[in-house]
Amino acid sequence: MKDAFAYAFVGLGIGGLIALLAIGLVIAYKGTGVINFAHGAVAMYTSFQFYYLRNNGIFHFPWADFLPTSTLNVPVKISLNGGDPMNFWVAAFFALLTSLLLGASLHYLVFKPLRNAAPLGKVIGAVGALIYLQGIGMLYFGSEQPQPAPVFLPDVLVFNFLGLGLPVPAENIALTGAAVVIGAGVWFIYRFTRIGLATRAASGNEKGAVLLGYSPNRLALYNWMLAAITAGLAGILAGSVIGSLQVGKLTLLIVPALGAALIGSLSSIPLAVAGGIVIGLLQTMTGSWLTSQSFFPGVLASGAEDVIPFVIIIVFLFLKGKSLPVRGALEEKRLPSSPYPKRVGWYVMIFVPIGAAIAFGLPGDFLFAGLGAQWGFAFSTSILTAMLMLSFVVLSGYLGQISLVQLSFAGVAAFIMARLMSTGVQSIDDPFAVSGFGMHWIPASILGIFVAIIVGVIIGIPALRIRGVQLGVVTIAASVTIQNLFFNNENLTGLMGGVNYTVDSPSLLGVNFGSGSENGLIDNPRFTLFALLVLAGVCTLVANIRRGSTGRRFLAVRANERAAASAGIDVARTKLLGFALSSAIAGIAGVMFAFQQQAIGPQNWEYFVGLGALAFAYLGGIASINGAIIGGMLTGGGLIATFGAHHSEGSYRYSAIFGGIGMILTAITHPEGQAPLYQPLIQAFGSWLKIARVKEWLAVGKRLGPFIVLGAAWGAIGINPWRTDTWSRSWMMLLAILLTLFIRTIVNQIRHARSANATPITPSKQEVSA
Amino acid sequence: MSALLQTRGLTVSYGGLHANSEVNIVAEKGKLTGLIGPNGAGKTTFIDALTGFTPITSGLAEFKGRDLVGLSPSERALNGLVRTFQSLELFEDLTVWDNLIVMAEKTKWWSFLADFVSPNRTLGIEEQSDWAMNLLELGEFRDRLTLDLSHGQRKLVSVARALAAKPELLLLDEPAAGLDTIESQQLGRHLRSILAEDITILLIDHDMGLVLSVCDYIYVLDFGKIIAEGTPEEIRANTDVKRAYLGESAGEMQLEGGTDAANSLSAERKQQ
Repeated sequence: MKDAFAYAFVGLGIGGLIALLAIGLVIAYKGTGVINFAHGAVAMYTSFQFYYLRNNGIFHFPWADFLPTSTLNVPVKISLNGGDPMNFWVAAFFALLTSLLLGASLHYLVFKPLRNAAPLGKVIGAVGALIYLQGIGMLYFGSEQPQPAPVFLPDVLVFNFLGLGLPVPAENIALTGAAVVIGAGVWFIYRFTRIGLATRAASGNEKGAVLLGYSPNRLALYNWMLAAITAGLAGILAGSVIGSLQVGKLTLLIVPALGAALIGSLSSIPLAVAGGIVIGLLQTMTGSWLTSQSFFPGVLASGAEDVIPFVIIIVFLFLKGKSLPVRGALEEKRLPSSPYPKRVGWYVMIFVPIGAAIAFGLPGDFLFAGLGAQWGFAFSTSILTAMLMLSFVVLSGYLGQISLVQLSFAGVAAFIMARLMSTGVQSIDDPFAVSGFGMHWIPASILGIFVAIIVGVIIGIPALRIRGVQLGVVTIAASVTIQNLFFNNENLTGLMGGVNYTVDSPSLLGVNFGSGSENGLIDNPRFTLFALLVLAGVCTLVANIRRGSTGRRFLAVRANERAAASAGIDVARTKLLGFALSSAIAGIAGVMFAFQQQAIGPQNWEYFVGLGALAFAYLGGIASINGAIIGGMLTGGGLIATFGAHHSEGSYRYSAIFGGIGMILTAITHPEGQAPLYQPLIQAFGSWLKIARVKEWLAVGKRLGPFIVLGAAWGAIGINPWRTDTWSRSWMMLLAILLTLFIRTIVNQIRHARSANATPITPSKQEVSA
Repeated sequence: MSALLQTRGLTVSYGGLHANSEVNIVAEKGKLTGLIGPNGAGKTTFIDALTGFTPITSGLAEFKGRDLVGLSPSERALNGLVRTFQSLELFEDLTVWDNLIVMAEKTKWWSFLADFVSPNRTLGIEEQSDWAMNLLELGEFRDRLTLDLSHGQRKLVSVARALAAKPELLLLDEPAAGLDTIESQQLGRHLRSILAEDITILLIDHDMGLVLSVCDYIYVLDFGKIIAEGTPEEIRANTDVKRAYLGESAGEMQLEGGTDAANSLSAERKQQ
C-alpha cells in the first residue's frame, strides 16, 4: 500500500495541471454558463506558442492563411527575436497575451452570439472552437512533439518524497503548488472583488443582474479572459510535466479537467483544485501501480487510468446532476425543428439509380474525370459518412440527446466484426493476421452491430438522469474511454505493435462487392452501389422512425420530458431506445467503413474524427435526413472536399479549420443547418416545373437574376484562383452560379440574425417563408 | 356513487415545510370536483403528488381503489389518471394532431419495429383524437405546429391533448389562467360537456367564478390544508373561505376595521 501512495505522488504534476484547467472551466461556467470543451485546446495552443517563442522567438497567429493564392498571403507567424531564443518572461508574456486573445475571441466570436442558443447550440459552438484550434494546432505544430524543459526547477528531484521511497521531480510539486496558489487567487477575486460579486449575482439570476445595472456581456468577457489566462498558465507550465507536447494529448486534458470541475459542482474553485489533484494522483497510481498488481485483470491494464475521469464524471453527475447550479439565462431557445419527411420512397427510387449511374461512370466520366480515381473513393466516403450522421439525426436531432460518442459505436461494431472475421492465417496479403473466428461477413457484421447496440444502451443509461450539456460531458469522456480501453488496448484487440485488422471483401452468391478494384485503389463502383443501397435502407428506416409513433415519442421527450411522462410515455425506455437505434445505425456505418477501408485500426475512430463528424452533421442539419446527406458530402474526404482539394491544392489540411468555423457559424446563424437553405432553391425549381406560376417565377428571376448573371460571369472567367482544366470549364459557370446564390443566402442569414438580435423575432422562421 | 380518486391524510413536505398536510379529498365518479385556493396554497403540489411528479411524504392516494405509491408518472397516465399543466408544456415540435396522437396511443414494446415497416398504420385511436379535437373546436389547426398558435388556442390544445387519452380522471391545473371572462365561460361549458362523456374531472383553479359555476363539489385549500368543503352554495357562504381569499388583498382592510386604516392614511396625506 505504501507503494501505491508513492506512485500516486509522482502524479502531483499532472494533478496540478488538471486542477489548473479545472479552475478555468469553473470560471467559464460561473461567468457564462458554458461548459467550454475548447478549454484544453486553448491551453494546447498557448503551450506550443510558449515553446516556440522561447526556442526561436516565433509567434504563431491563431489563424490560417485562408487565401489560396501564392502572391497574396495572410500573415500567420512573425519572428519576434530574429530566430533567437527568447527570455522566459517575455515569452510567457506573449504566450499569455495569446491566451487572452483566444479568450476574448471565444467570447466575441462564439459564445456572445450564442448567448440565447439552445444547450446543443452552445455545445456545438464549444466543440467548433475545439476543432478549429486543434486544426490550427495540427497545421502549425502537428508534425513535432517537442519536449520542453521544466519552467521553475529544472531537473531537481526530491528524493524519497514524504518518506515513501520514490523520487518526485520538484517541478511537479511546484506545479501543484502553483495550481493551489492560482486557485486561491481566483477564489479571492470571486469572494472579495466587485466583479466577482457581480459574476456570482449574474450566475444566480442574469435578469436580476441586468436590472442592477451590470452588463452580462461585459462580465462574460472578463470571465472568459480570466479563464483563458488560467488555461494559458496551464499551457506554459504543462510542458515538462506531460513529457512531450502533442496537439491531441493536450486538447484531451479537457476530460479529466471536466471531472475535476464536476467534483467542485462547476462552482467551487477550492473543490475543483482538490478534485484535479486527486484525479491526477489516482490516474498515476492506477497507471503505474494498480495495473501491475496480480489481482488486476490483465486485459484491462492498458488504458485503465483513463477510465478514472469517466467514472468520476458519471458518479458526480449521477449524484449531483440535478442539484448542479443551472445558470439563469434571459431566454432559452429550442432545438432546430425537425421536418416531417415526405415521399421517401420516391426519393429512394430517383436517387439510388442516379447515384448508381454516377458510380458506374456514365455521367461520372464527364463530371469527375478530372478527379481521376479519387472520386469513387470520395463518393463512397460521402455515402458512409452520411450514414454515420443519420445516427446523430436520430439521437440528437429527434430525441434531443447531445452525444459526442457516435463514432465510437461505429468503431466497436467494426472492430468486433473484423475480429470475428479474422482467420489468423498469415498470408502475403495479410502478414500480421490476428487470430479470430473466421466467421462469414454477414453474421460477423450482425454481431458487431449488436455489440455496438449494447455499448450504446450502456452509455445511454447515464442519460436517464443526466441532461443537456452534461450529457455532452459524459459522452466525450465515454468516447475517450472506449478509445483507450478498447481500441488502443492491444491485449483486447490483438493488434500488436500498431498493425491493422484486415477486412475481407463482402461477397454474396459469388458476387464480390468489396471496395478494392483491379488497379489496387478502393473505388470499386460495386461497393459504392452496395453502400448506396444500405444508405437508402437506413434513410427509409430513419424516415419511418420520424413518421411513426416512435418519432412522435422522441420529439415529445425532446420537447418536454415532464409532459411526455404525463402522456404515458416511459421517458427512460424511450431514451434507451433512441440510444439503441442510433448506435445500431452508427454500427452499420462502422461495418461499412471497415469494408471500404479494408484495413482498420484504432486511428480510424479517434475522438477527433468523431467530433469532425458531428461538426459536419450539424453543418448539414442535425434534425433532418437531408442534413445528414449534405453533411456527408461536406465531410473531409467526401465529394465536396475532394473536389475542393483538386481545385485548390492542399486544402484538405484546412478541412478541420473550416469545419470548426462552419460549425460555429452554423450554430449562430442558422441552427437548422444547411439543409433548409436549399429549400427556397428547390421550391423555386418546383414552381418552375409547374409552369403555370409564371408570375412567381418572374419574381424569383427578378430577385435572383442579377446574382445568376454575376455568378455566370464569374464562372466564365474561372473561379480564380481555382485550378481550371478542360473538363471543368464546362460546368464552372453552373458551379459559380450556385456558389453566388449560396453566398447570397449566407449573407442574408447573417443580416437576418443581426437584425433579429435587435428585435425579438426568430430569424429562422422568416427565412423559410422568405 | 363511488370514489374514483381518494386521498387520506396526504402530506407532501419539502424539508420542514408542509406544502400539503393531511389533505383528504374524494373525487366521485362522473362528477366535476373543484379544488380551489389562493396562490401558494399547494394546489399544484397536490396535482404533482397525485401524478407522481413529486413524492408523497405520508398518507394515502387511491385511484380506482388502488394505491398510487410506487407507480411512475407514465404508468399513472396509462392507468387513466391524466393531467394538464398550468404552464401548458405542449410538445412544441409536433403538430396539434400529433400532440393528441402521442397522448392517445398506448405503445407496445414492438411498436418501433412496426414503425420501420409501416409508420402510418392505423392505430385505432384516430377516432378519440378526432373527438377531442372537435370537442374543443381545434379542427382548423390540425396540422399547425403548436408553437404557432395563440395562448388561448394553446390552452385548448393542452386540454384536448389530455382528453385524447380518454382518461377516467382528468386533472386540470389552472385551465382558466390567462383567459378572459368570455373564454373562461366557454371553457366552463366545454367542461360540462366532457363530463357527459364518462370522464370525471378534478378542476384546480383560483378563479372563484369558474369553479363556483361549474363544479358539483368543492374543496378549498389554504396553506396546504383543506379549510372548507361542500357544494358551491356552501362554499359561497363560508367565512373561512372569504378570509383566505380576501385576506391577501386590500379588501381585508375594509372587512376588518378597514375604515380606521383608510382614515389614518388620508390623515397622513393631509399632514404632508
